[in-house]
Amino acid sequence: MKEVAHVALGRAPYRPVWELQRRLAALRRQGHIPDLLLSLEHEPVITVGRQGGAGHVLAPQEVLDRLKVEVVEVERGGDVTYHGPGQLILYPILDLRDHGRDLRRYVASLEEVMIRTAARFGVEAHRRPGFPGIWQGLKKLGSVGVHVRGWVTMHGLALNVDLQPNLFSLIVPCGLHGVEAVSLAQLAGRPIPMEEARAAALEVFSQVFSVRLTPLDREALERWGT
Amino acid sequence: MDITVPLLGEVEEVTLVRWLVQVGQEVQAGEAVAEVEADKAVFVIEAPAAGRLAEALVPEGGRVRPGEAIGRLEGT
Repeated sequence: MKEVAHVALGRAPYRPVWELQRRLAALRRQGHIPDLLLSLEHEPVITVGRQGGAGHVLAPQEVLDRLKVEVVEVERGGDVTYHGPGQLILYPILDLRDHGRDLRRYVASLEEVMIRTAARFGVEAHRRPGFPGIWQGLKKLGSVGVHVRGWVTMHGLALNVDLQPNLFSLIVPCGLHGVEAVSLAQLAGRPIPMEEARAAALEVFSQVFSVRLTPLDREALERWGT
Repeated sequence: MDITVPLLGEVEEVTLVRWLVQVGQEVQAGEAVAEVEADKAVFVIEAPAAGRLAEALVPEGGRVRPGEAIGRLEGT
């Protein structure tokens, strides 16, 4: 079975992790490091993908400044989204030539990870054709946004576990009016600790991608990343 | 030489989201020249050889199928 080294980054601000991902993806493309999976939560941030418009950020700048929420334009697919505490982020740095070499199937696999993770908490979520991510009705539970160069991935998935606070109100999620963000905790009707959701998602990830996750400490990663 | 969108698996069509080089600009082999997107996944198109971007065949926002050309390179 293929191995993917997993690194838990805890809670981290957006930009340093973004820069780390870019360095790691470059090293992966050069074959210097193995496949990796980063799991983390971000400090509050709004990111705008390649299909995004700044018009989809609703909050005025002074509100964003007061809340210390930065708006960052990034190279992933998709429109605008929010990341923050209580949202589980998985950033796989995978060479897709070893994982099916199929962009659509990769996105579908990330959705599958979220659907099966939600199911572990008794929450039924589904895909909406034409609207990547996972949904319950018109409520969005999880997002995908991916960047691939030389078949090596970066960015990934964001699953709303138990948003504290829920700052999706600052934006038009995915640039789709009428879409409301919802969390696993809301749909399950009980608090869900991040650690519980993370453990479930990692187990599901290894099933969906047919890989074995091997823990890697953060120091080793940072040595690679610099 | 054509710059083509590689076969991306089950993806039938992509949107060219941005050109990273201008017509007339010289590029190295492997340099990122454009980004295409399907299903919230951006895929970077790299130059197949060194040369000058002679023509952009697909504009930003244009749709293109994997295997098709988005631009033409001239040798230097």
